[in-house]
Amino acid sequence: MGRNKIQALAGVDLVIPPGSFTVIMGPSGSGKSTLLYLIGGLDRPTSGSIRISGDDISSMDENALAVYRRKKMGFIFQQFNLVSSMTALENVAFPMRFAGVPGKQRLQRARELLAKVGLDKHARHRPTEMSGGQQQRVAIARALINEPGLILADEPTGNLDTVTGYTIMQLLSELHTAGRTVMVVTHDVRMTRFATHVIYLLDGKLVEREQFEAASQIPEAATQPSEGTTL
Amino acid sequence: MRFFDLVSLIAYNLSRRKGRVALTAIGVVIGTAAVVLLVALASGLQRNATNQFAGVADLTIISVYPKWEEAMMVEKVGGGGGGGSTTSTVQQLTTPVLKDLAALEGVEAVIARDSLRTMGVLKYGRLENYAYIFSADTPDYSVLGYELAFPEGSLALKKGELLIGESAMQQFMDPNWRPGRPEVKQPENLTGQQVKLQLTRWTNEGETINKTVYMRVAGVLKAKNGETDYAVVVRMDDLTTWNEWAMGTRINRNKEGYEYVMVKAVDTRVTTTLAEKINEMGFNAYTPQSFVEGINNFYTIIQIVFGGIGAIALLVAAIGIANTMTMAILERTREIGLMKAVGATNRNVLSIFLGEAAGIGLIGGLGGIGLAWLAAQLVNVLAAAYLESQAAQMGGNAAGPAAYIAPWLPIFALLFSTLVGLISGLYPALRAATMIPVLALKYE
Repeated sequence: MGRNKIQALAGVDLVIPPGSFTVIMGPSGSGKSTLLYLIGGLDRPTSGSIRISGDDISSMDENALAVYRRKKMGFIFQQFNLVSSMTALENVAFPMRFAGVPGKQRLQRARELLAKVGLDKHARHRPTEMSGGQQQRVAIARALINEPGLILADEPTGNLDTVTGYTIMQLLSELHTAGRTVMVVTHDVRMTRFATHVIYLLDGKLVEREQFEAASQIPEAATQPSEGTTL
Repeated sequence: MRFFDLVSLIAYNLSRRKGRVALTAIGVVIGTAAVVLLVALASGLQRNATNQFAGVADLTIISVYPKWEEAMMVEKVGGGGGGGSTTSTVQQLTTPVLKDLAALEGVEAVIARDSLRTMGVLKYGRLENYAYIFSADTPDYSVLGYELAFPEGSLALKKGELLIGESAMQQFMDPNWRPGRPEVKQPENLTGQQVKLQLTRWTNEGETINKTVYMRVAGVLKAKNGETDYAVVVRMDDLTTWNEWAMGTRINRNKEGYEYVMVKAVDTRVTTTLAEKINEMGFNAYTPQSFVEGINNFYTIIQIVFGGIGAIALLVAAIGIANTMTMAILERTREIGLMKAVGATNRNVLSIFLGEAAGIGLIGGLGGIGLAWLAAQLVNVLAAAYLESQAAQMGGNAAGPAAYIAPWLPIFALLFSTLVGLISGLYPALRAATMIPVLALKYE
């Protein structure tokens, strides 16, 4: 997978304060998802470092990184990534298997979280029997199962209609209010309403809001390949 | 990840794709069944061959003779000039030698053997019998594995008693019988009956001297296709007395020794090594066990070859498992990405996929053992009649099952098929475990 090397991010230097709600804005191909995956420990930077609560995750070995993903962060995907053969309850409880939590405890905690996202009546439903919004809420409950301090969401409203997308945004906002650090990658400007910090990315680089808006208004400028991108 | 969770997840994943798992496992079923059935057939053949032989001879008995062939060689070298005593060069089975033999490790009993060295005719009423008369120096013949044909007899001989083989008992002749007369009626059971033993010797002048001894039949020996069937067994002291009478001299066992000696080993496993030791002592030791071991070695090779043929079918099944697992990993790439995203370690992922492959092997192995068991029953039913008729013709014990599934065989087959699954899943599982999460999640 992936024989050609693409430089998705270059020279990104940023600090995310704990307890913040950070929205990363950018058009397709700007590197915003890559940034999120790097922070989530799902990918490794070719150079540079990423520090989470003082720990450099870019130098961690595979095992330590797996433990980091399990304990410190919860990931929400645009495609929901639920296991289609499992019920909502089993999907939510799934990450706890790898934490070595006994079955009863897992299901108990999953039930609580499903109730929290308003899906306690759908516990036995499979993903195919639920709407997109319900599936995303299951995915949010799953992200919370190991009680992480950091929630990373990659286009969480991308596959949802506007009204459903808004309820998901509210749910994420509630998580932030409850004290978690939330980072959301989106190109839905409505999300900025909930944000404490907004980061703009263009062609793999951090830019100021004005620059970002200017590029958004003049499509010719945005499609020009930047110096940092090699194909 | 807890072991139980791992196993339940593996079982769950396998149950998600029942059809594919079943199709893949069929290959393992056939392979395992082939291995089990072919090895069972070879085991059955081996057991039958060994049992048939064990029915004829006691496999713990070693027959020990003086090395008479050495005496012949000495004579040849000597050029045949002069009648030098041949016995002086041959080590005899004397009483001290018997003690040495008894002292060897693994020896249960040493039994001296001698036979009547003159003509002896057994007489029962008008009937005569020319059976081979011998003695084995033991107070109780059950030690030699002798069995009674009729329960009322005894295998412990008192002075003046004898044992007669079942077949020998049917070989009485009427010296006055002429063609046209009715067939001689053979005695049905001589146990407890009195018989006469007429011994004959010749003087230097050629004169015949007869001596009649009255004997009681202590028991009839059960026919076993062995040497006792056509023989009469007497006590050693009786036999020595008669031989001394026949030869006109006293027999000194310290010098002349015995005709031959039967050494009984404690176990068939030590028989061959014991025979080798006795050979090294300067005697000829024969044991049917060495023949049986030859048979065993032959059938072990047959088992390996048969097992190998079955294993080819398992190899094909292994490729099937590898293929199924590779496809499964391609299909489940996003799931692998998800597992890693929610905190599964490489080892967790490896264990899950290896477990699934081993699970297919295990399911196939169980099915294969079941199939082989059914096939073995069928083979046994079909072969039973044929083997029984063979046993009736050839003698020996009744035939055992044609396909014999030893207790270790299903266990071995199950472990082997699981191992085959495990090895087949190694490459796909490693691929799954080392996937980069972000690439796996983006896989379309």
